[in-house]
Amino acid sequence: MKSTTRIIVTSLLLLIAVASPAWAQAKSELTVALSSFSAETLDPALQGHNVKYYLSLMFDYLVGVTPDGQPSQAGGLASKWESSADHRRWTFHLRKGVKFHDGSDMTSEDVKFSLQRAMSKRSTTGYAGPLRTLIADIETPAPDRVVIVLKESTLIIPTYLSRSLSTEGMVLPKKYIEANGDDVFARKPVGTGPYKFVEQVVGSHIKMTAVDNHWRIGVPKYKNVTFKLVPEETTRIALLRRGEADVADVSRERVKELEKEGFPVHMRREEAIIHMWWILGPEGRTPPTKDKRVREALNLAIDRAEIAQSIFGGYAEPAAIPMGLSWAFKEVGFKVTPEMAYPYDVARAKKLLADAGYAGGFTQDVYAFQLPGFAEGKSFAEAVAGYWEKIGVKSKLIPVDYPAFRKQWVDRKAPGAVGYYNIANRDWIGTYALLEKQAYTPSKLNDTVNDPEIDGMIAQVMRQTDREKINALMRNIYTRMRSEHHGVPVVYVHSPYATSKTLGKYNPGAVMYDLFIDELARK
Amino acid sequence: MLRFVLFRLLQSLVALAILSVVVFVLARATGDPLHMILPMNASEEDYANARKYLGLDRPYVEQYFSFVGRAVTGDFGTSIRARRPVIELLRERLPNSLKLAAFAMGASLAIAFPLGVMAAVKKGTGVDRAAQIVAVLGQSLPTFWVAIVLVEFVAGRWQWLPAGGADSLASYVLPGLTLGWFVVAGMMRLLRSGMLEVLDSEYVKLARLKGVAERKVVWVHALKNALIPVVTFAGIYFAILVTTAIVVETVFAWPGLGRLAYDGITSRDFPVIQAVVLTTATIVAAVNLGVDCLYAVIDPRIRYSR
Repeated sequence: MKSTTRIIVTSLLLLIAVASPAWAQAKSELTVALSSFSAETLDPALQGHNVKYYLSLMFDYLVGVTPDGQPSQAGGLASKWESSADHRRWTFHLRKGVKFHDGSDMTSEDVKFSLQRAMSKRSTTGYAGPLRTLIADIETPAPDRVVIVLKESTLIIPTYLSRSLSTEGMVLPKKYIEANGDDVFARKPVGTGPYKFVEQVVGSHIKMTAVDNHWRIGVPKYKNVTFKLVPEETTRIALLRRGEADVADVSRERVKELEKEGFPVHMRREEAIIHMWWILGPEGRTPPTKDKRVREALNLAIDRAEIAQSIFGGYAEPAAIPMGLSWAFKEVGFKVTPEMAYPYDVARAKKLLADAGYAGGFTQDVYAFQLPGFAEGKSFAEAVAGYWEKIGVKSKLIPVDYPAFRKQWVDRKAPGAVGYYNIANRDWIGTYALLEKQAYTPSKLNDTVNDPEIDGMIAQVMRQTDREKINALMRNIYTRMRSEHHGVPVVYVHSPYATSKTLGKYNPGAVMYDLFIDELARK
Repeated sequence: MLRFVLFRLLQSLVALAILSVVVFVLARATGDPLHMILPMNASEEDYANARKYLGLDRPYVEQYFSFVGRAVTGDFGTSIRARRPVIELLRERLPNSLKLAAFAMGASLAIAFPLGVMAAVKKGTGVDRAAQIVAVLGQSLPTFWVAIVLVEFVAGRWQWLPAGGADSLASYVLPGLTLGWFVVAGMMRLLRSGMLEVLDSEYVKLARLKGVAERKVVWVHALKNALIPVVTFAGIYFAILVTTAIVVETVFAWPGLGRLAYDGITSRDFPVIQAVVLTTATIVAAVNLGVDCLYAVIDPRIRYSR
């Protein structure tokens, strides 16, 4: 019996020795542990912006952006671009000598092929629809020149093909895909990015290895980069503590604990707006929220500062503009004035309800769900319902998951019911694209606003070629959204990313769904 | 015996056919997968295109027969979320689940056998009481809590063992123990009660009177006769370990079948849900059949009428 005990103890000690943390080893690996991988497809045409953070290591965009979201001639495959006087012909000059991971040259034919593929019916990317509407033809006058011919004048084409939006601007290898087919490409993708695909185990990890020398970042600092899917936060933090992960998304409530232990925590400030809206009926808004006063009352009844503190641990800021994605404000010259902020004013909210004929309040359905990056979803819904209760509006909380709510929303089967989303912050064109779907009556499916004045301004933005006029239109849209209370903007949330103690400086940037992991590989 | 096996096979096939209808209908009743895979700002045109491309625009009856027709050949279609053939995903995940279940079951047997037998032999002593505590805790502590505690302390703070993944033998320990503890508890109690009954039987008393060594009485004569319920339990639990380790696989980031099922359900990935349910049902049916057959090997007195 004693010898058995000795064997067991020795085995356990050996196991512990074998399993000792990885921090003792030299770091040539970078491991990113994330709670969600979204769709886990490696084909840029089969998913939208949600998969950018790992695809942007393998693929380069036609138009690059800086981590703070500004178009950059140094960051994309197009080293410069210009448009004709009427803004209907856009010429992109391609960088020479760029090669795909299979050794073939990147040319204008690849750009044309990639764009056509992104716009094809098979594509499920976020902005395939607008590109189909806009693009008439793609010309390739030279291997290093692409001309995009538009059906109408617009300034927004470079942004649509940049890293600041979705995956439509990623350049794919025409010859490789044509020779091997879409399925092989999706399993073994080939791009021009700083890292080559090595392995994917769906639901587990995606592994990449560095190219020898990349035109954008030079010789990558890390030989291998692995994205690990680790849904449980305790496990992600344990990986960080053991040195088995270098970057991990963490919840707002564990930030202080990690900082106390000495782990740097990098905030993506105002990463998303927590925004609520009422589902429209088949003919538009329905009572009681058809009345502007009711919408204002519901906004005034919420103590945003308290929600920011109690639900989001202080890592949030009150929001004031419905669908007002703040990363775009500076670009279009919009400023949220103190008068625009919604004060917490129960008395005024009650008076507005009484004026609208709802002195006794009313009952409304509130769909309660959690979302990736928004673990506080249900407690948030409960908190808001509690505030509304104080002005006599009884909220019936319906616990569902997001797809169930979305079905009610787009089918318009629950008019007046309330839902919400953590809408990723983005630049002005991203904001415009969002408004064009969620605040534009002709879009039907996703509309949450139904306001002819807003419709008119949104329609003008696309065709406007004077940037100052575009900015003015965007400012007017924001102002109108606020004055008509077209939704309940609650808070902007900051998203924390913890890194290992040895990783050094890291800027997760301000581009939606992109963590700029490739910037970490820059020596 | 052959008739019995054939009859049970037929029963299993009917059950699988019924299950295929149920899972097909229920998976579709929970929502539209396009709401998960298409971006929030997708247009009606985007929806129509994706629906057509994924074959979701066809009538349900046509979709069902297409699914069944392909499933019998091992083709479960393409994952809506990962856009890869589901069979590939199953091939990647099932071995991981089998390996983890085998480790958990092996560890459970290694702990439960000596503990169960000793608890019966030394009834009422400290050993018995310690075994009872293990059993009560194993069956009452929620798996997710045990998993989180192990990750937080054993992996995260003390850094003794890996926190997640399936990279090395060491990475099996925490998920294996979490998964196996419940089985240890059940198996230990079953073995203890079975042993107590057998140890009190006439033939064991006779063996003792005939001077057979106590070790042989306990570990050979008594244990063999107390094994039948344990074999049933172990067989069924092995199938359950393979097929229902969702919580453990999620906490320990273990790329197994449970996680695949969970991801499939949360993203309304019909082909994955259907494939996982049918695969797990097939495993459970096969294990049950295997256990029934094993009875006859362990105890030749057992005969099957059908």
